[in-house]
Amino acid sequence: MKTKDVVIGITTAILLLVIAIAIILGGTGWTPLTEIRLLAKFYLENCFNLFDKNYWAASPEAVSAMLWDYRGIDTYYETAVFFLAVISGVALFRIAEVKVGAISSMRRELGLSIIVKTVTRIAFPLIITVSASVALHGHLTPGGGFQSGSMMAVAFLTAIAAFSRYFIEENLKLTKDNFLTLRSVGLITIAILALAPILAGSIALMQNQAKPWSSTPSFPEALGILWTAGSIFYYNLAEFLTVGAGFTLLFLLISIPEEEFRRILRL
Amino acid sequence: MSLFAASLITFTLTIGALFTYLAIKSRDLLKATIFSAAQSATYALIFFLLMAPDIVLAYIAVAIGIYTVILLYIISKTERYEEVES
Repeated sequence: MKTKDVVIGITTAILLLVIAIAIILGGTGWTPLTEIRLLAKFYLENCFNLFDKNYWAASPEAVSAMLWDYRGIDTYYETAVFFLAVISGVALFRIAEVKVGAISSMRRELGLSIIVKTVTRIAFPLIITVSASVALHGHLTPGGGFQSGSMMAVAFLTAIAAFSRYFIEENLKLTKDNFLTLRSVGLITIAILALAPILAGSIALMQNQAKPWSSTPSFPEALGILWTAGSIFYYNLAEFLTVGAGFTLLFLLISIPEEEFRRILRL
Repeated sequence: MSLFAASLITFTLTIGALFTYLAIKSRDLLKATIFSAAQSATYALIFFLLMAPDIVLAYIAVAIGIYTVILLYIISKTERYEEVES
């Protein structure tokens, strides 16, 4: 690396340091704000207020309550956009009817070295477990559907990188159609959960807990000893399946070897 | 915000800027992608220090895992080294 590059890099770093110090000392006002804004105050006072249940979401996690209750339509559209992205990816790759296990005889040579494979073998179930716990605890602790779904996709991604895609298709017996089904199940669950209040007679789409002006019943706050925060737990679970299976599906498609594509196009 | 957290954010941002600079300057696209992932790691730490754990969980998975791998996939379809302009 040239001296000029180092000088430019260090100058940029010093400039950024000076700007950051200026901001921290209050150059543009305090960030984050020291006083709570009105909207934040509303969420903090209402989302798990056991004494005044008029506007509550039954979820101790304010962010999940906002995502799936107060501003649920927003997340619904986000899911719809992601659905369109995945479905266009699948449509682009629809020519590929890849033969599963085309080169299973050379499976031992596929993938990375034995060290990477061993580490991945340990890490793969751990990442899946963590992502499931983030999804199942999404209404209680930080996290939620999208976060846990992308974590699950990363687990499959490491498996594809370390063992090749044939590991998922043959050893785990999960093909691209399985992931498509999983994703559709998640999406249909979200749609049913969103429409359920309307079918029960409410005027609000995605209503979780009953509001003072509505006459419809609210989702049960808990199933026995399991606190589900109304519908938020189910939404998180469905979004976990949707995002995780959607991303994994795309990775399975882009990891098809190029020779396979050429062979199919030539036929 | 405590002074410790503030100085930690400043320090992390500086390292992030250094990685950004290296990612832009690097002619080797593979190295540039790895520098970009390192920059994402520093930003994830900043999100954590700014008390946004929900963002951190999504950001780590997407910016360090998925984004990096998609870039590596694209690089595998083209050349690894950027052409040097005269």
